[in-house]
Amino acid sequence: MTVAAAPAPPRGSSVDREQSMALAFLAPSLLFLLLAFVTPLVLLLGVSVSGRSGLSLESYAKLLGTGYYLNVIWNSLRLALLTTILALAIAYPAAFALARARGMVRTALLSCLFLPLAASVIVKAFAWTILLRSDGIVNRILIALHVIDAPIRMIFTETALVVGSVNIFLPFMVLPIYAVVTQLDRRLMEAAATLGAPPVAAFLKIVVPLTMPGVIAGVALVFSLAVSAYVVPTLLIGELYPTLASTIAKAYLLARDPQFGAAAGVVLLIIAIIVVTLSARLAGRENDR
Amino acid sequence: MSPPDAPHLVVRQVSKRFGAAHVLDRVDLTIAHGELVTLLGPSGCGKTTLLRMIAGLESPDFGAIELAGRDITRVPPHRRNVGFVFQSYALFPHLTVYGNVAFGLKSRGRTRGDIDAAVKRALSLVHLEHLGARRIAALSGGQQQRVALARAIAVEPEVLLFDEALSALDRKLREEMQVELRLLLREIGATAIFVTHDQDEALTMSDRVAVMFAGRIEQVAEPRVVYARPASLFTLGFVGLSTRIPGTVAASGEGRVEVDTAIGRLSAIGNFIVGAPVILAVRPEHLRPAAAPSGNCASGRVRSIVFHGANSLIEIEAVAETTLLAQTANDASAHLKVGDATRLCWPVAETFAFPDPGAGA
Repeated sequence: MTVAAAPAPPRGSSVDREQSMALAFLAPSLLFLLLAFVTPLVLLLGVSVSGRSGLSLESYAKLLGTGYYLNVIWNSLRLALLTTILALAIAYPAAFALARARGMVRTALLSCLFLPLAASVIVKAFAWTILLRSDGIVNRILIALHVIDAPIRMIFTETALVVGSVNIFLPFMVLPIYAVVTQLDRRLMEAAATLGAPPVAAFLKIVVPLTMPGVIAGVALVFSLAVSAYVVPTLLIGELYPTLASTIAKAYLLARDPQFGAAAGVVLLIIAIIVVTLSARLAGRENDR
Repeated sequence: MSPPDAPHLVVRQVSKRFGAAHVLDRVDLTIAHGELVTLLGPSGCGKTTLLRMIAGLESPDFGAIELAGRDITRVPPHRRNVGFVFQSYALFPHLTVYGNVAFGLKSRGRTRGDIDAAVKRALSLVHLEHLGARRIAALSGGQQQRVALARAIAVEPEVLLFDEALSALDRKLREEMQVELRLLLREIGATAIFVTHDQDEALTMSDRVAVMFAGRIEQVAEPRVVYARPASLFTLGFVGLSTRIPGTVAASGEGRVEVDTAIGRLSAIGNFIVGAPVILAVRPEHLRPAAAPSGNCASGRVRSIVFHGANSLIEIEAVAETTLLAQTANDASAHLKVGDATRLCWPVAETFAFPDPGAGA
């Protein structure tokens, strides 16, 4: 096989022009982000390293050096990981169902996906506590059906936490995958079939790689949201499962230790940045292939 | 072209309905090994459905399809060994040119060396051997078309199926590809079916043309026969141009009819009972300005002249709102001008009579 020459680059002038146009369009949002996002972040970074007597890394040492806080970080990661995996497992087929649906069915399915976004996350988390508490609907139904004799503990378990978290963040996984699936040319599957690929092989070799950008985007979104979730763990499991987000809240609201809170915030941010950067890299590679 | 010998592909009484509409209505078609056949017809005539059925992408309600002696009516597409070239090419955008062409070979579990050799051969047949590492998005439309072709022929399928495969190319490139593709298919001895609504493509590419209309095959014949001896009024109208004159049969016998028309009594080929309403038709190249009248003749005035390079198409207004269409060579002689009076004659042997579909209704 010969190595192909690189395609001729477009003329320089038009590229320059395009880039300056793009920059002009981006300017308002860049300015906004600078004021509303970068400035507070710089302040946060400053607070996280300023102790009572000047520069100090003790908050980071405490976070990364104590078993309790390492466990807190692990809790956040674990919740994010479980939520992401489960959400992906549910969202991937759902996105295809959504893309295949037509007319009223499609509208109904899309509404099911979008409408919950209009309800506050607090409302949804409370709804789960009502469903799952010991005299809640799920326990009553199970008892009425004689599946169980006495109420089982569902609320304040990790299962409840993950179920609630998946429910709340699911739309953020479905939508990017759905967007990619609707772009998928069905002829590609037919082409694979006429070339001798059985349906499963065609799916793995054609559909999976082509939907990967949507999967990566969904994973990045849901992971970032779940790793920093505050309301969901607080309401569905509480003190049993301290997370980075709840640690930040406690540091600011109860312990009045802004340095520690800021440090925890920076750690959370770094985790999110790593995930998003990795995803962007992966997505870029997918597009380059 | 040799006459069809052992049938390679047999379509037997294939029917398909979508709701109340007959997409295909008891279609029969037999294709010999190495034959190039075109399914020609307007959109909605069922030609693409028939092609997709041969590939296994649609299934017939009734009827059977046999390929290379095997009944494949209920065989899924991936076990049929057909090659399909899609109108949109349907190349895999995440794979390279090489990856696309190798796909079918990998699916068949060939060894690495076999795959490499087959991909190289296929790419060199379409003159793209130097572009194996190229991404699909970095190719021109014509190159993508070639990759689609290479991908389909790399697996050496029993039959190659082309669904309007050339229609996305611009005219000049399309005409070049028609000739090149025909040579290539001959070279590899492929059996191929083209679907097109483009009569020029059908006449250029194929050993035989199957003209389809409303879910039925109207005529299957060599291109010159389809053109010169159309079996139905539909074929006559769909392939090539013609003058049409309605009339009533006045006398009939020995394969010839005498027909009374608005421009006088004309003779034609056909068997009809006296009094039958018919439509007479003649191709424009048979109409000639005649010094000594012979065969059928009519007088009129030139209404328009359309210049086509080597020849011109002339519309002549005869009596009773009858328009004659003549094609004349643009040599130095006999230049007609718009408004000129002229008399045209044409041979009886090139005048066909068809039953008038409008008269009985």
